[in-house]
Amino acid sequence: MAGNSDGIEIGKKVPDFEIDIFDPTKGDFGKIELQSLKTQNKWTILFFYPADFTFV
Amino acid sequence: MKKLGAELITVSTDTKFVHLAWQRHEKQLHDVTYPMGADPTGHLSRLFGVYDGMSGLALRGTFLISPEGLLLNSEINYYNLGRNIEELIRKLKANIYLSRKKNEACPSKWKDEGDKTLIPTAAMVGRVHEALNQ
Repeated sequence: MAGNSDGIEIGKKVPDFEIDIFDPTKGDFGKIELQSLKTQNKWTILFFYPADFTFV
Repeated sequence: MKKLGAELITVSTDTKFVHLAWQRHEKQLHDVTYPMGADPTGHLSRLFGVYDGMSGLALRGTFLISPEGLLLNSEINYYNLGRNIEELIRKLKANIYLSRKKNEACPSKWKDEGDKTLIPTAAMVGRVHEALNQ
């Protein structure tokens, strides 16, 4: 199970991160950085799920 | 979500190559426009406390981050329970509204701008019913 020491408290700052992506609109790979979304004044929603080729 | 000024990123511990293969293969996903994040090391999943070390998979966690980089909402479901997207949109809309109206609060039935909000004051203590129904 996920350990209790993990996770960010509600109301606290999320450390900047970057993640490799597949972008279905371009059919290509890319990267997303939280810092860049913040600069664009965007809200970010992370939607975790267990695995591809299953239901989400 | 895009219209509301939000970027939704789906994330699993699959690689971006598997994301590509799945999105192309699964007809249910042909209209998907969300970027599909690849977290094969579990780094991001661990950061948000959804990494299951026994399986190497991420639990169904949803996290809402403001433009200032603050975590304002989190929800974690076990493997066998899906999420309600309408509730996610409600939470996003409420947080956008509250970022402008810092002295207000959105009650449970709040759905969209124009719906009744509360302004917590001393006068409201013990009188939430009256405040909601006035």
